[in-house]
Amino acid sequence: MASISLRNVEKRYGDVVALSGCSLEIADHEFVVLVGPSGSGKTTLLRIIAGLEHLTAGELYFDQGLVNDVDVADRDIAMVFQNYGLYPHMSVYDNMAFGLRRRGLAAEEIDKHVRRTAKMLNIEALLSRRPRQLSGGQRQRVALGRAIVRDPAVFLLDEPLSNLDAHLRVQMRAEILKVHRAVTATAVYVTHDQVEALTMGDRIVVMNEGRIHQVGTPGELYDAPVDKFVASFIGTPAMGFVTCRIRRSANGIELFTNAGRIDVSPQQEHILERAGADSVIVGVRPESLAVVAETTELTSDATLRGTVEAVELLGAEQYVHVTTDGGHLTVRVARSHRIIVDEAVTLTAATRDLHLFDQQTGAALR
Amino acid sequence: MEARPRSAPAPSATRREHRAFFGSRPENIVRTVAILLALVWSLAPVYWMAATSLKTELEAASLSPTLWPHHATFANYLGLWGGSLPFASFFANTLFTCLATAVIAVLIATPAAYALSRARFRLRASIGYGMLIFRMLPLVVLLAPLYLLLLHARLLDSSAGLIVGFTTFGLPFAVWMLKSFIDAVPIEIEEAARIDGYPRWQILLRVVAPLILPGLTTTGTFVFMEAWNNLIYPLTFVTTLEKQTLPAALVLTFTGQFKTDWGGMMAAATVTTLPLMIAFFAVQRSMVRGLTSGAVAGA
Repeated sequence: MASISLRNVEKRYGDVVALSGCSLEIADHEFVVLVGPSGSGKTTLLRIIAGLEHLTAGELYFDQGLVNDVDVADRDIAMVFQNYGLYPHMSVYDNMAFGLRRRGLAAEEIDKHVRRTAKMLNIEALLSRRPRQLSGGQRQRVALGRAIVRDPAVFLLDEPLSNLDAHLRVQMRAEILKVHRAVTATAVYVTHDQVEALTMGDRIVVMNEGRIHQVGTPGELYDAPVDKFVASFIGTPAMGFVTCRIRRSANGIELFTNAGRIDVSPQQEHILERAGADSVIVGVRPESLAVVAETTELTSDATLRGTVEAVELLGAEQYVHVTTDGGHLTVRVARSHRIIVDEAVTLTAATRDLHLFDQQTGAALR
Repeated sequence: MEARPRSAPAPSATRREHRAFFGSRPENIVRTVAILLALVWSLAPVYWMAATSLKTELEAASLSPTLWPHHATFANYLGLWGGSLPFASFFANTLFTCLATAVIAVLIATPAAYALSRARFRLRASIGYGMLIFRMLPLVVLLAPLYLLLLHARLLDSSAGLIVGFTTFGLPFAVWMLKSFIDAVPIEIEEAARIDGYPRWQILLRVVAPLILPGLTTTGTFVFMEAWNNLIYPLTFVTTLEKQTLPAALVLTFTGQFKTDWGGMMAAATVTTLPLMIAFFAVQRSMVRGLTSGAVAGA
């Protein structure tokens, strides 16, 4: 078991900066998920932790020991690759035993470890098979087995579920968490799927363009995103944004667009005063918005009018995509709610559910 | 009993693809004729060689040649092994030098190809292309420098000298061919082995080599065939007749000042060709794969 510490890690490929100023503390036994879009640098960061890539600048510590120049073989890590990386010419048993043999363990000891791990992952019946004789889910289990059989200090997983179908992915998520609880190794998990990140991580690291944007628990990321990128990346459907002008009067501050107006709380008023800008981006999560009838008396803090662009039916609920002056919003409503495409609708929200972002930098205003 | 479906079954996907590629009947006929012409053109000398080897001395030397042997005989073949020529030695010399060349070339080429495929160093591309350029040089260009090298190393007129010469010429292609096989091995498999604690040379030996086994045999066979076909090196580097290889012996022993033993020469040529044909048919599938791998994305 080990804690991991990254301090100002930078990675360059010639003139291309893949990672810059990445600092992160991962506690012993923690399950941390690196999440971000393609090209965000999450896999590069994982490979640096593994020792498969050398960092250009910065420091990497395992349990307070600097490992910048420690070879991958000596880092006591195990890794599960996106495309499994199983040895095609070896049986499942040999795939799992290969690393143990290198450590010089006796044959009986190896056999004991392999069979115990195989039992844990329910792959005992597959031990004599070759990887090409296995389904995607079975290969994934074997890859997991190969990683945990060595009882590593750090367990690295690079998008391990991305090749599986949606149903199996949900099943394997639970499986991986079960395995993590059983082996209690420190785990770093890379995914581009924010649902996977939210459901699996003790803490989540949101990355984009080689930078760490925010580190926090799933709840923290969802409720208090530090910038517009995190706010839009975390949550399904994504948070909607509307650019509003700020009107200052003797009665205080009011936000408005051509399609509506938003009252702000005293605290938000204070934040906007401090920011001193003429306009601001307001973010609203789909579940914080409501569609109201035109005839309803509007008493809400925020009221915006727009036109329905599309409706997505998802069984019990539906997502309504609305275009308003200043931005695009998505609303989550019950299936029973009758919504017609191209129809004008009025959306309302409570002030406490609004997120304010700086229009220039995208940073959250707090 | 199950009733047979009345309507004709829909053509299978393979058949549809076949039709899409080969087109309609008239087009088919044109294509077949073209292929047959090409086959006749290229196989005619081979047929002539095999037919002449079965002719009597008189028929083979006749001024009005016969298309097929009128009095077929195996005398020419029997004469190879039982005659005054050390044909068995020629065969053994060729087999030994070519096999040794194939093994040595593959042993040297494998780590070289691995380095070219996986290592990232400044002159990687230049070294790779440099090898290809070397390969494009005509054999004759290398003849004089190789002769001098072998002379100074006291390897002239020896199997070792021939093996050095053959390997020199076969190695660049072997490296490129093996590189294409190694390129096709997913890097994650090697990274998994690195994480499992194995050093590079063991990864090459225990992970990469088993995965490119078809490539190793194909490359070995290719080098073997090239060495087997080499005429100019044995003629230049070997002076003792008993130490000659088959192609050189064909030239040196069957043609005389007053008479050429066409039947014997063609029998020897047929025997010389047979191991090559066997080797080619044994590895033809992977050889084509080796020559074309990397040509399309994902190959």
